[in-house]
Amino acid sequence: MEIVSQALTIESVSQDFWSFCLSRLESELPPQQFNTWIKTLRAEAGTSDEPSLRLFAPNRFVMQWVRERYLKRIAELGEEFHGGPLLLELVMAEAGSARTAARPVAPVMPVASEGAASASAANATRAPIAAPAIITRPEPEPATTSADLAYEKTRLNPDFTFDTLVTGRANDLARAAAMQVAQNPGTSYNPLFVYGGVGLGKTHLVHAIGNAVYRRNPRAVIRYVHVEDYYADVVRAYQQKSFDAFKRYYRSLDLLLIDDIQFFNNKNRTQEEFFHAFNALTEARKQIVITCDTYPKDIQGLEDRLISRFDWGLTVQIEPPELEMRVAILQKKAEALRVDLHDDVAFLIAKNLRSNVRELEGALNKVVAFARFHGRGISLEVAKDALKDLLNAHNRQLTIEHIQKTVADYYKIKVADMHSKKRTRVIARPRQVAMWLAKDLTPMSLPAIGEAFGGRDHTTVLHACRTIADLRLADQQLNHDVHVLTQVLRG
Amino acid sequence: MKQLVLDIRPDAPPTLDNFVVGGNEELVATLGAIAAPSGAHSGAPLPGHLYLWGPAGSGRSHLLRGTLAAAGGRPTACIAAAEVGRELPQTPGLLLAIDDVDRLGDDAQIALFNAFNRSRSLGQTLLLAGKEAPRQLALREDLRTRIGQCLIYEVRPLDDESRAAILATLAARRGLRLADDVIDFLMRHGRRDLPSLLAVLDALDNASLERKRAVTLPLLREMMQAGLDI
Repeated sequence: MEIVSQALTIESVSQDFWSFCLSRLESELPPQQFNTWIKTLRAEAGTSDEPSLRLFAPNRFVMQWVRERYLKRIAELGEEFHGGPLLLELVMAEAGSARTAARPVAPVMPVASEGAASASAANATRAPIAAPAIITRPEPEPATTSADLAYEKTRLNPDFTFDTLVTGRANDLARAAAMQVAQNPGTSYNPLFVYGGVGLGKTHLVHAIGNAVYRRNPRAVIRYVHVEDYYADVVRAYQQKSFDAFKRYYRSLDLLLIDDIQFFNNKNRTQEEFFHAFNALTEARKQIVITCDTYPKDIQGLEDRLISRFDWGLTVQIEPPELEMRVAILQKKAEALRVDLHDDVAFLIAKNLRSNVRELEGALNKVVAFARFHGRGISLEVAKDALKDLLNAHNRQLTIEHIQKTVADYYKIKVADMHSKKRTRVIARPRQVAMWLAKDLTPMSLPAIGEAFGGRDHTTVLHACRTIADLRLADQQLNHDVHVLTQVLRG
Repeated sequence: MKQLVLDIRPDAPPTLDNFVVGGNEELVATLGAIAAPSGAHSGAPLPGHLYLWGPAGSGRSHLLRGTLAAAGGRPTACIAAAEVGRELPQTPGLLLAIDDVDRLGDDAQIALFNAFNRSRSLGQTLLLAGKEAPRQLALREDLRTRIGQCLIYEVRPLDDESRAAILATLAARRGLRLADDVIDFLMRHGRRDLPSLLAVLDALDNASLERKRAVTLPLLREMMQAGLDI
């Protein structure tokens, strides 16, 4: 009996602590994060005699996330609550069973000797999910403390700083203004209005301001918000009748970074709220930074009184980066990925993707992934191969007419000869090549291909295809021709 | 008398294993890594968002569904473009697949745009597919470029040998034995994209059950005379 009651006591103590922990975290974290990551956890008393708690995460991703960001804080709270270290375990809840102890996860690496285990990694994950228990004792290192949570609340991306921002003619004015604002928030240019086309680094720039202000003054209340999320906040405040809290929050900020203001288009209530927040913040000499895809006067569906206020501060533009800057951006990105990128490869990518930085990054990611998969270094040749998936977008539109014209031009014969009855070698061979290409590059049926070549029988097409396939092995010139034509047609 | 056919097909659910890989080794390996990030404890970064494109019938939907099926333990959702509303699910850690992004409506495009922006804080991975390469997509520029930032793969079309192999496999799964001459005939006379071939296979399957005859070239010829388009 005594053992049972002792167990009950442990259980209730740990539940008391968990309630305490939840209420503290709820006040420390933004509601979305609290609901997303903390509320989904389930707590049980641990198995140890010492104060201990076992937390169950609903899936591996929540587990990873909580472990990286919140576990230390929970441990701190545990120490505060118990007056001594708390043994903390974070495990994954297994579907269907509430109280299963965590088992070590089976390695996902294929094992040659075991037939089942050497199947794909996909199979391996179908095994019951379990993850190793993580046992943390609070350590004095200052990670994931309340300071980290304060940073978390800013919604800033730590990767976007002035250090990681590549400067060139396209953005040097905007960058200088942003640095000025970061050094003297609220007093230099207010608001700072940054505009420019899609994917040129506006968001990077405003995060950089936020991160710089935070670094100088970790106590500053900073918030990055996309207009769509601001709108969602307004809607939520409206539904939950919590406008006072909403207003209080946005007016308590020292620095408000609001992204993509063009999304205010026709959201009148949201504009109204923002108008008041804007006035309150600027009157209190708090800094506002705004981004938009166009010049203030050109924004659609925005109230004039807002537009005129945007003129109070400074408006700066970000332009599309020139070639050298695109190369520099790629080099910087490659550095972050820890890969060696030669200039010729960087130039190749930069020349092919001109209009924005995002696609430039997409292209680099592609080249790096391709090189890794094939176990090759990043050479010009590898880059060309890798970029085909991005650049070569024509082969699906291939029509038989296009194939016939391309082949006729290549062999300097007339397109009409593709349909004619002439059977001289100089005409028949290109015609056969064109038939082979039509079979290889389109899903057309052989009778349909024959029809397109002057009403020929499908057996003629079949014969042509076999002839070319055979000749390619023996005739280097022909093989070269076919190769070049395939490349040309595929773009 | 005709045998009535119960319209239940024994097609296996799509997985990464039953996809005929052809020239798509890298793509399939990457999808496997997204489904089962083996480095869950090694601190290796999860693969980022992914976009794959190719014409209808190239196997995009198969790959999306197969990837989700392999993602044990991780919350997943697969949403057709037409069903995307003003909001996409904000489930943390979600592996979210959306097919046919080229068909997203105006609101749905903003929903996907928001999903991109929120993915970092929610720990979501987007798995997108469409007909066109990102440069050709007729979408909002702010969304189009975000798709262009994904890891991009073209689903490479299969060659005739792979198509014949798929045809034989799918026939076997229906309990049909396709004679080699039937397959040869279809590859020579019919359209050779997979959806067309599967349509013929379905027709053959039905006819064989109704008439209680094996699938042979004569049966196929009879059906073509009766108006079957291949």
